[in-house]
Amino acid sequence: MNRNVFLRKLGGRLLRTISISFWVMVISYSLMRLSPGDPAEARLGAGADPEAIIKLRETLGLNENAFVAFVDYFTGVLRGDLGVSLANDVEVLEIIKRTFPLTLTYIVLSVFFAFIISIPIGTIIGWSNKASAVYVFRGITSIIIATPNFFIAMVGILLFSVKYNWAPLFGYVSDFPGNLKYLWLPITVNTLILVSIISRVLQTSVVDTRAEEFVETGIIRGVSRPRFFWFYILKPSLAPTVVLLSYMMGTMLGATVILETIFSLPGIGRELVGAVLANDYPVVQGILLLFGVITVFLSFIGDLLAYALDRRVKL
Amino acid sequence: MSNNKAFAADASRKERIKEWVSRPGGFGIITGSLMFAAITLVGFIYPLVGPYAADEFVGESLEGPSLSHPMGLDQLGRDVMTRVFSAVPADIGIAFLGVTIPLTIGTVVGILLGISKNKYVVSTVSSLIDGINAFPLLIIAIAMVTFLGPGLFNVVIILTLMSWARYARIARTKAVVVLQQNYIEAAKLMGYSKRRVISKHVAPNVSSESLAYALSDFILVIIIVSGLSFLGFAARPPMPEWGSMIADGRTFLGQAWWLTVFPGLAICWSAISLSFIVEGLSRRDRGNS
Repeated sequence: MNRNVFLRKLGGRLLRTISISFWVMVISYSLMRLSPGDPAEARLGAGADPEAIIKLRETLGLNENAFVAFVDYFTGVLRGDLGVSLANDVEVLEIIKRTFPLTLTYIVLSVFFAFIISIPIGTIIGWSNKASAVYVFRGITSIIIATPNFFIAMVGILLFSVKYNWAPLFGYVSDFPGNLKYLWLPITVNTLILVSIISRVLQTSVVDTRAEEFVETGIIRGVSRPRFFWFYILKPSLAPTVVLLSYMMGTMLGATVILETIFSLPGIGRELVGAVLANDYPVVQGILLLFGVITVFLSFIGDLLAYALDRRVKL
Repeated sequence: MSNNKAFAADASRKERIKEWVSRPGGFGIITGSLMFAAITLVGFIYPLVGPYAADEFVGESLEGPSLSHPMGLDQLGRDVMTRVFSAVPADIGIAFLGVTIPLTIGTVVGILLGISKNKYVVSTVSSLIDGINAFPLLIIAIAMVTFLGPGLFNVVIILTLMSWARYARIARTKAVVVLQQNYIEAAKLMGYSKRRVISKHVAPNVSSESLAYALSDFILVIIIVSGLSFLGFAARPPMPEWGSMIADGRTFLGQAWWLTVFPGLAICWSAISLSFIVEGLSRRDRGNS
């Protein structure tokens, strides 16, 4: 593709990403506005002091015209101001800064391990394409995918914490070597699920790649084995996998909420559950906005990576 | 004579069924459907004929599995097997509503978007769809619980509000393709009314794709309903529901594994049965064995 055409396409895609992010913000803001009851009353309880309710409505911007309040919120977000928690007066941005790194750490680690494990599995099974191996592989992976992560996590705890005492049941230490003791089980659970998904997609796309004409050309030309596997098989097959993974990241982020609750990790997911239980609207909005925007940008990055791996991918 | 004829018809039906099963994916589709039918039937029949009620205290708390209580008793001395089977309407029923309602709404909206000539309406609704789809389903469902309150009925509302967008996107993409087909042109040329063309010619061709997606969405929604209940946002305690039973069992994981494992297996059973069907159908679609 011509360089200019590429840049124009890239710009268009980026513009679309930004406009979707704007809608993400509109939605995460308007949820509170559209809620059927009075949010202020819901938080303070039915028998609350009317003056306190009025004050809270003021803080939440519920007294203002919806449009004005949204513009306020919008300009605030652009300045990095996501509001203040109702529960403890801490800035929402501070809460995110405190809790998100942990979540990010174990997500990145599980994605990393999942790729290392899935690439050989998916490539070998896809390349050999032996009926019995494919059957067993697809059977096992579809069972793992259909199992809810909290059930896998519970079985993991049952085995490794209750029975063998390899992982602590509760608690968390945040310094580096110590936290691995608490993190290895959640990472393993996450990796197991991810491996099933990634290796399945990779296997399917290796099968598709195998049928391409350039693969035959590669064999005839006698390209060296490692070169052949990387350039002719893996690289074009990874493109759909990367796209899928970037779309999957949203679901992954969702899954962390449950994992963090089970393993009692002080990450952003558990923060969200706590905020929902306490009707802490600014925190809920802030985390919702963060997750939405991350998902949108990840799918943009995923498309770019896929394009880098395989120039036939449409941006 | 007539007997013979019936026999012949029977044989040919048997042949046809055999042929249908032997085609790629037949095994998965049959196994999955039987598994799914089994859990649904047991879920609706067992509470009627079983010896205990779902919230009846029948023995010691945390009594292990035995012949009279194959899945043991929970922390309040209720029969776990009765509760696991009584939870079917709450889990599969709610998930069914949470798939079919957005499927219907989303497909209609998608077809209308595909037909619509008004550029502004199309682009506004499309970006709203993109915005909704950007959120991870579980996250936005949890966030909406803050504003709507917990409860199974609210879960259906939340799933409807959020999932229609994905169906609308699928239906719209397909509708645009279908509308360019020759048979639509032919139907128009034959002078059929617009409504007839849409309902008899466009909708059936669009919905095949949405239905295929709905089936795999069903798995996801079962997991989301039980996940929300696990967090305490959907089914409330006395009601039997797999996710909340697992959450209850979490406290007693060390002493009573049966509280967690059996409801978990029930979720797996339902989700796996559906995924066998999905897998079988996609194999059939690709045409390899």
